[in-house]
Amino acid sequence: MGSAAGAVVTSVPDAASTVPHRLHAGPLELEVLRRGLRREAGTLLLVHGINPIPPRAPFLNLLARHGEIVAPSHPGFGNSPRPADFDTMYDLVHLYLSVLDALPGGRVTMVGFSFGGWIAAEVAVIGHRKLDRLVLVDPVGVKLGGREERDIVHFFNTAPEELNRRAWRDPARRPSGIYGLGWHAAVDEAMPDADMIALARNWDALCLYAWRPHMYNPQLKGWLHRIAVPTLVVWGESDRIVTPDYGRAYSALIPGARFETIAEAGHHPELEQPHAFADCLARFLDGRGQQGQPR
Amino acid sequence: MELWNHCENPYPFVPNEVLEQAPSVRASLPNKYCDPKIAARLYDEVFDEYRLCDDLGLHIVTNEHHSGINNLWAASPVITGIVARLTRKVRILSLGTLITVRPDPVRVAEEYATIDVLSRGRLEIGFVKSGATEMVSGDANPMRIREREWEAIDLIEKTLTTHDGPFSWEGKFFIHPHVNIWPRPYQQPRPEFWAATSDFPTCAELGRRGIVNTLLFGGYDRTRQAFDAYKKARAEAGLPAPGEDRFSSMAFAYVGDTDEEGLRIGQKIAWFLTVSIKSAPQFSKFQPGAVAPEMAPKAWRGGASKRPSNLDAEVLIGQGQMFAGNPDTVAKQITEFRRRVGGIRHIIMMTRQGLVTHEEAEKSFTRAAREVLPQLQDLPPIDDEETAWEARRARS
Repeated sequence: MGSAAGAVVTSVPDAASTVPHRLHAGPLELEVLRRGLRREAGTLLLVHGINPIPPRAPFLNLLARHGEIVAPSHPGFGNSPRPADFDTMYDLVHLYLSVLDALPGGRVTMVGFSFGGWIAAEVAVIGHRKLDRLVLVDPVGVKLGGREERDIVHFFNTAPEELNRRAWRDPARRPSGIYGLGWHAAVDEAMPDADMIALARNWDALCLYAWRPHMYNPQLKGWLHRIAVPTLVVWGESDRIVTPDYGRAYSALIPGARFETIAEAGHHPELEQPHAFADCLARFLDGRGQQGQPR
Repeated sequence: MELWNHCENPYPFVPNEVLEQAPSVRASLPNKYCDPKIAARLYDEVFDEYRLCDDLGLHIVTNEHHSGINNLWAASPVITGIVARLTRKVRILSLGTLITVRPDPVRVAEEYATIDVLSRGRLEIGFVKSGATEMVSGDANPMRIREREWEAIDLIEKTLTTHDGPFSWEGKFFIHPHVNIWPRPYQQPRPEFWAATSDFPTCAELGRRGIVNTLLFGGYDRTRQAFDAYKKARAEAGLPAPGEDRFSSMAFAYVGDTDEEGLRIGQKIAWFLTVSIKSAPQFSKFQPGAVAPEMAPKAWRGGASKRPSNLDAEVLIGQGQMFAGNPDTVAKQITEFRRRVGGIRHIIMMTRQGLVTHEEAEKSFTRAAREVLPQLQDLPPIDDEETAWEARRARS
């Protein structure tokens, strides 16, 4: 099917399929996970964090009741190729503006997780005619504390066990085969080679985009006031990668944003508490969670 | 052949119980465990060793590592500049400044030009890719460091060889709109370049550029294959065959009065391969870029350590990673190494390492210079076909 700005979405969406589709955005071709057929309800563009959205994650089918899910893998992640000079947040932001161009329909909710929350916030600051609502889930991306305060635990320099402990309310509840921060702690003889290769590729790409400054854009804080769509900021109550206090301060910089926490969840509430997470988003998407402030 | 002395200037004085409990002895070990009075003594001792080497005719190698017990040379240009004034005769190789960590290669070039002038043209400039804990202590992105290294080398070379006023550089990794260093280097067109690598595609590129290729503990097989990649790349590019002066290898070395003494003190060097490389997994095998993704299963299951599995001195000697024994024995080992790798001019001896003392090191240097080095002069040409056949047979 054709779409604007020379971008084309290929493949027909399949309600239950876990088979990756491809999405053309400008000159780039991305692997994309699609779920749900309720296009009339709008599109939920999921912008993943440290790893692409796992097709088996239970929250996907719960969210698919509220719109058609489109979840691309960023260049260098999953099976999306990364062009040689594509290596900055600037590139990712303009890529996702192209993805918005490419999506059919006129109402898109961007849902950004962790690192993907940073991308989504940047895109929302620029704005796009199709961007209807914004959801940020434990996002990184801004520097809020003083120069000797670390807002965001260093993803790459922190011991795997420590990352695991900080990222999950209960690391033992991490679903098998689904990897969040601290995935290194799950590396053992039983882990399939394909999982290791995928995790290594994702980790490399993440580092390329976000090593320094680590996981934030020093200028973003000053422009969050330009976000002009209804925004929900969701936080795992036990997230110790980026704390709920950081989340509240982040949220307060976005006009009219609503802040909600998910109990008994860490940095990945969508993985650790899929039902509570989906319910939280449903309230917002159904219009019951908005503050209704003038914009 | 020529012999070089390389000392990492390690700090083996942290209590064992601290080292055993620390997840990493590099990057994160608190510097409260470094007594500056001991460090001052170590600097004095090693600089005295360098003066002795100058008298004896052993060339000197400096390097740098950061934030760890393995090395107190925090900045190679600083140390190399001191060596330049302490010595008068021998050549000095900086191997090297961590150019993938330093933000501005122009400053590195300027520092090297200064040292070259200070030493009246005795400087040689070595490049190392670096990685692991150095990326953490220097906050340098561990991805694409090889590309960054090559751009830094190109910029340093242009900086050292441009003498007609400022030039502009707008590269992928480095930007400098106004490059014009003072002083310019003493040697023209520039000091010799070296690079430490055993990565075959990189060796090939060194070959095409004529840069001296040194391996660090490459042993017989890897060294031979690396040099073959260098030679093949030159041949394919239609360039003249390289002389032995393009090739170098670093190995542990101890020259004693007797074979027994050589082996006994040589064995002390194992500290370097055990205690001093202890590194947390996030700084090593899980660091982004540490291995190609398709190699991750092997590296993550087996660990990414390059440490030899058997640290017995005689085993290391058998692999070409150590030269140790009495002077005649060491001369024979080095002569055999030269033959088996297909020719090599420079042997870099890592002697003052691990728990080897100042006195032990000075004794080895004296023996090496007076009794080994003379035996390495005027050696017969290498029969490349014969040694290539032997190498293939050994590998199969």
